[in-house]
Amino acid sequence: MTEELKQTGATNAAARNSGGSVIRVKKLRKLYGDLAAVDGITFSVEPGETYGLLGPNGAGKTTTMRMLSGLSPSNSGSIEVAGINVVKDNRAVREVMGVVTQHDGLDGGLTVFQNLFLFGFLAGLSRKDSKNRANEVLEFFGLRGRSKDNTYELSGGMKRRLAIARSMMTSPKVIVMDEPSTGLDPQSRNRVWEELAVLKDAGVTVLLSTHYMEEATILCDRLSIMDNGKILDEGTPDQMIEHHAPKEVAQLRVAPAALRTVRDYLTEREITYREVGALVSVTGLNGDRPDLSGLSDVEGVRTSYRAGNLEDVFLTITGRELRDG
Amino acid sequence: MNLAIPTPGIRRRSVTGLWLRHAVSFVRYWKFVLTWVLIEPVIILVAVGFGVGKLVGTMDDGVSYAQFVTPGLIIGNAMFHALFETSWNAYNRIDNDVYETALTTPITILEITMGDILWAVTRSILTVVGTAIVAALFGWLNHWEAIGMIIPAIMVGITFGALGFLFSAVAPHTTFLTLVFTLVASPMFFFSGSFFPISILPDWVEPIAWAMPLTSAVHIGRGFALASLDITHLWAALYLIAVTAVLWPIAVFLLRRKLIS
Ligand SMILES: Nc1ncnc2c1ncn2[C@@H]1O[C@H](COP(=O)(O)OP(=O)(O)OP(=O)(O)O)[C@@H](O)[C@H]1O
Ligand SMILES: [Mg+2]
Repeated sequence: MTEELKQTGATNAAARNSGGSVIRVKKLRKLYGDLAAVDGITFSVEPGETYGLLGPNGAGKTTTMRMLSGLSPSNSGSIEVAGINVVKDNRAVREVMGVVTQHDGLDGGLTVFQNLFLFGFLAGLSRKDSKNRANEVLEFFGLRGRSKDNTYELSGGMKRRLAIARSMMTSPKVIVMDEPSTGLDPQSRNRVWEELAVLKDAGVTVLLSTHYMEEATILCDRLSIMDNGKILDEGTPDQMIEHHAPKEVAQLRVAPAALRTVRDYLTEREITYREVGALVSVTGLNGDRPDLSGLSDVEGVRTSYRAGNLEDVFLTITGRELRDG
Repeated sequence: MNLAIPTPGIRRRSVTGLWLRHAVSFVRYWKFVLTWVLIEPVIILVAVGFGVGKLVGTMDDGVSYAQFVTPGLIIGNAMFHALFETSWNAYNRIDNDVYETALTTPITILEITMGDILWAVTRSILTVVGTAIVAALFGWLNHWEAIGMIIPAIMVGITFGALGFLFSAVAPHTTFLTLVFTLVASPMFFFSGSFFPISILPDWVEPIAWAMPLTSAVHIGRGFALASLDITHLWAALYLIAVTAVLWPIAVFLLRRKLIS
């Protein structure tokens, strides 16, 4: 990413000078009937910080973000964004905050450029400013050549990036992004990550939700692990890994024919393991390297070791896999 | 309990911004749009005016059938436009998260209905003016007062624009939306005095026909077209306003329930 993005609304210094957290959520709760979709969560995001909500399907990430943007009433608790009490004034918050919704929400009746231009106009920019800004963000996202295309002609990755571009039309100081890279191929995802890194450089505060531990590790300064509407723990990715993940995880690629042997071996020695697809993951007791020596000459088993990561953190905290929720 | 407090006040940009979005999209597809704004109503006008007109001959007061039916068809057609915009098109905007995106700007549900209804009014005016010019060329509109048909055109846009949301905001799927035409639009079109005077209906049907908002709109349109305005046209206008005053808040309530959860 070589483009420089002008973020007129925000610089690091300006954000810091405003003092205090940009987002402050306290004991926030939301019920759908009997279901507590968000069940008393508290967190805050500091100026210029990228903060992640990491959780599986149905954790309550979208519900949280919709309440933050004033698009969903809460049952109790408080939300403050850039000093605005969102519960009291759900219009003002949308003047200062950019929002990337989980579904792109692109307008199929308009071209790529018109999507941005008309959004900017609706958001309050003058026609001239909106036009200029639309060209600016298209340039930054490398979509200038697609200006006149219909949105349905774009690839999934381009659509997602256009939705992110749209949230930047008003140069907001704070943006919430609901799963910015879900469903994208690795290449598009990398591109989104680069673009978000530039945003961060420009001093924009970002709250994002994700299913991907890799995304959280790379992008987030801090994150919380969310499940069933609750925040289970919070910290920097390193802290989380240090506290909750084993130092090392053995990963066995096991051919179907050898699966039985491996299971029996591990069960016999009371070594806990979990199976993810064709992979058997083994975490050593107390973080020690487990004794898998007896498997070394079983045909169809390949063993490798990797460091503990956020995926393991999630498993430790919730007892469940992150991916299949 | 933190209630969903609707943001007070009207932000002008929300309404003009949404209207501009519709206008831009409309202009993009103008070739298609032309067929329903002008070509279709003119075809119906010609068929009924020339065809049926030949059979029927002259109405009371020396008005030809074509002159009688013209304002009825023009206003009835405007109703289809307004309804279509806020039922079918609005449903697609709900379904494709276009409103969801709009709501990430400082817009409210009330303003969304205002922007869309303003666009329904615009469409209504366009089709009424376009079709009226053609009718005038045929000699079926022969009073200057016919220009006043813009007034019922606006009223139709507002009333039926509000009514359309009652369908789009609750429709679980597009098949449900066809109800707006089978239950609302078509019966009204045929029993609102567009094609024949309501007075020839059986006595017990007459009040039902008058309860349909399109009847009042057609009545006003005909008052202007035939330059025969009297106090009954004022009552008809007040009735339309009253109906709108009931429908619009319901539309806002239902749309809020749909979009803000
Ligand atoms: N409008 C609604 N009505 C009823 N229940 C809802 C509604 N929206 C969300 N829920 C429920 O609230 C819970 C949290 O949903 P939410 O969409 O916030 O999860 P999420 O973390 O965003 O999940 P995903 O990763 O799948 O997007 C889920 O159990 C969901 O079924
Ligand atoms: Mg979600």
